[in-house]
Amino acid sequence: MTDTDYLLTDVDMALFLVNGYHVVELDLPAGLNEQISEKLDGLTANPGDAITESVPELWHIVEHPQVRGAMISLLGEEYAVNSHRHWHCKLPGSGDMQWHQDGTNNRGTTIDRLLGLYYPHTITADMGPTVIVPGTQFRNAPTDRMATYTDIRGQVPLTVPAGTFAITHYDLWHGTASNRSGVKRHMIKFLFNRTSGNSAPSWNHDPEALKRERDWDARDKAKDAVNILSFGNPLGVSQSDHYKERIIRQACWQELMGFRQQEEAPRF
Amino acid sequence: MDAQTQPRQRLLYLHARTPSVFSEILGYTLIEPVKGFQIEISGGEFEWPYTTVHDAVVDGWQIVQFPHLQSPFSDTDLDVVGYEFILQKMEAIS
Repeated sequence: MTDTDYLLTDVDMALFLVNGYHVVELDLPAGLNEQISEKLDGLTANPGDAITESVPELWHIVEHPQVRGAMISLLGEEYAVNSHRHWHCKLPGSGDMQWHQDGTNNRGTTIDRLLGLYYPHTITADMGPTVIVPGTQFRNAPTDRMATYTDIRGQVPLTVPAGTFAITHYDLWHGTASNRSGVKRHMIKFLFNRTSGNSAPSWNHDPEALKRERDWDARDKAKDAVNILSFGNPLGVSQSDHYKERIIRQACWQELMGFRQQEEAPRF
Repeated sequence: MDAQTQPRQRLLYLHARTPSVFSEILGYTLIEPVKGFQIEISGGEFEWPYTTVHDAVVDGWQIVQFPHLQSPFSDTDLDVVGYEFILQKMEAIS
């Protein structure tokens, strides 16, 4: 299988634009997750960006065809693996991490930065899973203003099997729950960058996908790209916000399609 | 009045879909007036005690701050999720 065999579909792409994340369960060689977990368990200090030197097996994850296929789809063929990466080891008994975005929020309509979160062991609800809030990636909300939120309707705890690689939009709201278990919770965060704009779709695009009519009866049960982009509302936000989200998605989709001017693009 | 019977302020932050007290709650934070109390994001399913702000008012919570609507509005930009109501209950906490 080559990278192109793992490109995302129009529906995958539409769901990413709506939800701000895409979860991949990697097909890894037997024992690799366990090998990585054991090495992480044995580390006595956090090597920061050098985590891939301490645990070089992580390159099998970063360069896995399923990861590459998704990244090509979302960031273009010339995407780059950023030199920054971080091992998030959540010790037993450690508390939660409140909602935040990494860095400042410079929301644009282009998908140009993604986080890749790799979990080498199965994550249960009591192990302090990462928790994400679908659809928040386009919000200009500084982290300070998230301080009065605890639980948010529609939040998704990433309670996932070993070998899961969760791709999130850089600006997606995220936090962690407390680790109430007796084991260390490992997650390695990678960062990926777009290096050039699309001149054409970089995913497995079917031109017929955009010819669907809006289906007002399907709405949030939509299964096709046009209707997912039109009606997706994962948090059930207000009509005003939902209409603005739709406009932002429209602009983002057009950029990904390689349309330079809005009037060239079919609308959904 | 000793510390056990002194009413203390319980706080409830509710983020509603719209400024109406009848719209659905999207965000929830309960703060108990207990030393060392900390808020915590749920790692599993969260049981929502109320569907709307009105439900909380019916349950005895008083609104002490309504959402601020005077801030600049952008017809293209999005910011926080929902409209924040702050509620209180004055109760003796044992």
